[in-house]
Amino acid sequence: MATVAQRRPVRPRRWRMRRRDGSVLGGVLTWMAVVVIVVVTVVPLLYVVLSGFRSTGQLNTDPVALPDPWVWSNYRDILTSGDYWRFLLNSTVIAVIATALAVGLGAMAAFALSHYAFKGRELIYGVFTIGLLFPLGVASLPLYLVLRDIGLLESPLGVAIPEAAFSLSITIVILRPFMRAIPQELFDAAMLDGASRLAYFWRILLPLSAPALSTVAILAFVTSWNFYLLPLLVFNETSHFTLPLGVATFQSQYSQDTARILAFTALSMIPSLAFFVFAQRRIVGGLTGAIKG
Amino acid sequence: MRSLRLRTAVAAAMAVGAMAVVAACGSGDSSSTSTGAGTSGGSTGAAASGEPVTLTWWHNATNDPLKTLWGKIAKDYEGANAGVTIKVQPIQNEQFTTKIPLALQGDDFPDVYQQWGGGQQATQVQSGKVADITDQVAPWIGDIGGIADGWKTDGKQYGVPYSQHVVGFWYRKDLFEKAGITEPPTTLDELNADVQKLKDAGIAPIAIGAKDRWPAAFWWEYFALRACATDTMQQALANVDFSDECFVKAGEDMKAFMDTKPFQDGFEGTTAQQGAGSSAGMVANGKAAMELQGTWNPYVMSDLTEDKELFSKLGWFPFPEVEGGAGDPHAALGGGDGFSCTTKQADACAAFLEYLVSPEVQKQLVSSGATTLPVNPEAASAITEPTVKDIQSYVNDTPFMQTYFDVALPTDIGQAVNDAIADFTVGQGSPEDVVAAVR
Amino acid sequence: MSADLASRPARRATVRRAARHRLLARRRLELALLLGPALLLFGAFVLAPIGIAAYYSLHEWSGFGPISDFVGFDNYRRAFEDDVFRGAISHNLIIAGLSLLIQLPLAIALALLLNRRLRGQGALRLIVFAPYVLSEAITAVLWLLLLQPDGAVDQTLQAVGLGGLVQPWLADRDIVLYTMFAVVTWKYIGFGIILLLAGLQGIPSELRDAAAIDGASPWQATRYVILPLLGPTIRIWIFLSIIGSLQLFDIVWIMTGGGPAGSSATMATYLIDRGFRRYQFGYGSAVAVILFLICFVFALLYQRYALRRDTRGALAQGVG
Repeated sequence: MATVAQRRPVRPRRWRMRRRDGSVLGGVLTWMAVVVIVVVTVVPLLYVVLSGFRSTGQLNTDPVALPDPWVWSNYRDILTSGDYWRFLLNSTVIAVIATALAVGLGAMAAFALSHYAFKGRELIYGVFTIGLLFPLGVASLPLYLVLRDIGLLESPLGVAIPEAAFSLSITIVILRPFMRAIPQELFDAAMLDGASRLAYFWRILLPLSAPALSTVAILAFVTSWNFYLLPLLVFNETSHFTLPLGVATFQSQYSQDTARILAFTALSMIPSLAFFVFAQRRIVGGLTGAIKG
Repeated sequence: MRSLRLRTAVAAAMAVGAMAVVAACGSGDSSSTSTGAGTSGGSTGAAASGEPVTLTWWHNATNDPLKTLWGKIAKDYEGANAGVTIKVQPIQNEQFTTKIPLALQGDDFPDVYQQWGGGQQATQVQSGKVADITDQVAPWIGDIGGIADGWKTDGKQYGVPYSQHVVGFWYRKDLFEKAGITEPPTTLDELNADVQKLKDAGIAPIAIGAKDRWPAAFWWEYFALRACATDTMQQALANVDFSDECFVKAGEDMKAFMDTKPFQDGFEGTTAQQGAGSSAGMVANGKAAMELQGTWNPYVMSDLTEDKELFSKLGWFPFPEVEGGAGDPHAALGGGDGFSCTTKQADACAAFLEYLVSPEVQKQLVSSGATTLPVNPEAASAITEPTVKDIQSYVNDTPFMQTYFDVALPTDIGQAVNDAIADFTVGQGSPEDVVAAVR
Repeated sequence: MSADLASRPARRATVRRAARHRLLARRRLELALLLGPALLLFGAFVLAPIGIAAYYSLHEWSGFGPISDFVGFDNYRRAFEDDVFRGAISHNLIIAGLSLLIQLPLAIALALLLNRRLRGQGALRLIVFAPYVLSEAITAVLWLLLLQPDGAVDQTLQAVGLGGLVQPWLADRDIVLYTMFAVVTWKYIGFGIILLLAGLQGIPSELRDAAAIDGASPWQATRYVILPLLGPTIRIWIFLSIIGSLQLFDIVWIMTGGGPAGSSATMATYLIDRGFRRYQFGYGSAVAVILFLICFVFALLYQRYALRRDTRGALAQGVG
């Protein structure tokens, strides 16, 4: 008994670290790595944000410098112009619809593919994975024609629905093994209790799959948010544009006004980053869950 | 087994069904699912008949001053023509090449849209949706002279220009002075000498936005204009056949010129108009002495610098003469901007285009600074800038104006030529390769 | 009585068969309900366009007028005969190879280093993951500005005394592809690190302690214990990374358009440039189908050889 207890190290963490790494070197390397990562990642982003506070003239004379004087008009003009907010709204509406569709239909399909046995199941699963292998840009012309014939042009649905369709692939690829890994006992117990499979799906499986569901929801949301090509084809009216389309159009429209472009770019980064902050616990948690099962 | 076949059959049926729908619609005219952006009925919608007409207008002026000006002109027209509404839609220039073919696929196309003429126009005419307005414009098209020919396909008028451009050298008078150059060059030898003087003074002689490809094309096309006789040139473009020796000579002349290293460092990655590092930006900020560009360039440059005195420092001279060529030493490369009408409301559209080339609108275009060269000679009197006046008279006197090749040729060949020239400019490929690109 | 006894098994069998039929029918209904909508959506908006694109690839079509010019496999032949396309394929392969050689070890090393309990671990993860959240378009615009000659990157290098390293990042044909790789790495390394961190956290710490107690050096523990256990995660990352390398488009398109002179072209930029921009939709579609087939074959082979042994184990672990 005593020997079992002694097998666990008495002193936690620090003692273990020193034993494992042998020296302070590991700690130093870690800090160096951290510094490099932070610098390389954050500095370009900071550059964009800060440059928005300069004028194009300042940028032309000296690309790398702090704003002097601080120019507020770039950010102010964009935030008050209404365009930015409209793009933001459009992007949000479309992303929400696309995510709801992708996750909803994807979860149902993943359930079918994990809890039902039928001939051709693996084939259908394989068909869904095809969506991962085909670049959307190529399908854009035929997709445009399909949308036109259904009458979905110039409508948010014309963007949200195809986005959901393409997101189905990664959704199902992540959800199916997760659902399979839910212990068989739960399923058996539910069946014994007389529940139907659908009831099991709705009442037990979905709540249990929350981490994976939030992961795929976030991936679908971010993917939809960042889509550029599809909105470009579907929308002609500026008022319908989404944010990435707005950035690109803005960039060509004001191609000479570098400072303003940077300000717009900075403002466009904010929703994505804010969303990520809000959801980051879920993403990493979900990925951890998906990998550990 | 049964379920697999069922599922596969359903999927196959859907795919085939979708394809059939698309093929049926793509091949013709029957599609009824038009979500037409505001076009109302009536293919003869002439305002005079009293029927309300809405014209959808796609133009490429996403910048001021032209963006505001077009808006005002649309309102003026609406005011003068009761029952006509114009729905103005500025579309970013680069997006036209994507949007127009898509729009012409179905029934959802604009009534008036940006048109550069030439082979591009000919390709679009294939769709059957671009309107032949020869009859509608006949009464007034003569007012704008020969330039309208650039918007003819198969002898019929499919578009109307509203402004012209010509390509020439924009140069910094102050930098030329600094290098000890007293007069702009008139021959290639003089240009080479000036390039050397500028280098000696530590100034990048010529800026070029080679990354964007089309600026490089200007150079090769001018060398071709100097090397090839006018009819050879016209024949070659009409027949899409560059087998004449003179085109190879053009490449060789250009290569000899490029061997003197006249361009700025890193020119392969420089854009034409984006930011201070672009070729326009370099001239605007005095980092390079000259650039071969179109008449739009000063306005591009003014946005790229804080220098308020820019315009007073800029001068213009035409492409110099090149020895040993069969081409006319005063032939010019240029083009124009215009609009085309589509079949749905051709008459109303043509009436609107008549307004656009009228002296009153043309004078507004000139004085706004939005477009430097009008197509209506009457408006030329409104030009105040001396440099622009010089350019205008040069254009009036030039014996032969050639449209940019990528507009004159069918689109796929035009782009192939641009690519070949771009490769050639950065040192990949030979003069023969450029010619070979025209298949 | 005896008659009943004799017929009971038969009747029971009949009843059972009927019940099974009802059950099967109900299962089919449930399947249709669950799978149907997703399949419909997928079929109409993903499969159908792919099928249509394949149909276009057999024709020469400018995008205007009817699709009438059937040319069979001519477009495919033309693609393989084009130097620029072959060059583009090699560029994709180079990028895929570099990600395996450089990004993977880097991500593993960083994940291992970051796996300790650190102050601000959450914030660090946020920072590392941030570039992934940005859209490709914004990333490209950002780096395009930073990499201009005498732009932010050049000036920073000069400021720290590394001015000799300054190159024409986007203009030099020999360098530009590697510049693209660097930008892609910046964007995606964070994702790899987070993925590997998640995998690392799945490894029980007792295993490491056991290795330490057994006298293994940290290096040996890593090599023989941790890395093998990270195997499934690494293999997933490799899969996603290679597919991503093959389909690389947005960043290259916005930053260089495939130039100068095709030196940074990828298969995807090639097909948009030579196909759609030149109004040769048949040709562009053919190149797209080629790209798709390359990805498909890779996915198939990878699934069979690399992921197979993971599948059984991975099913328990939850990653397909």
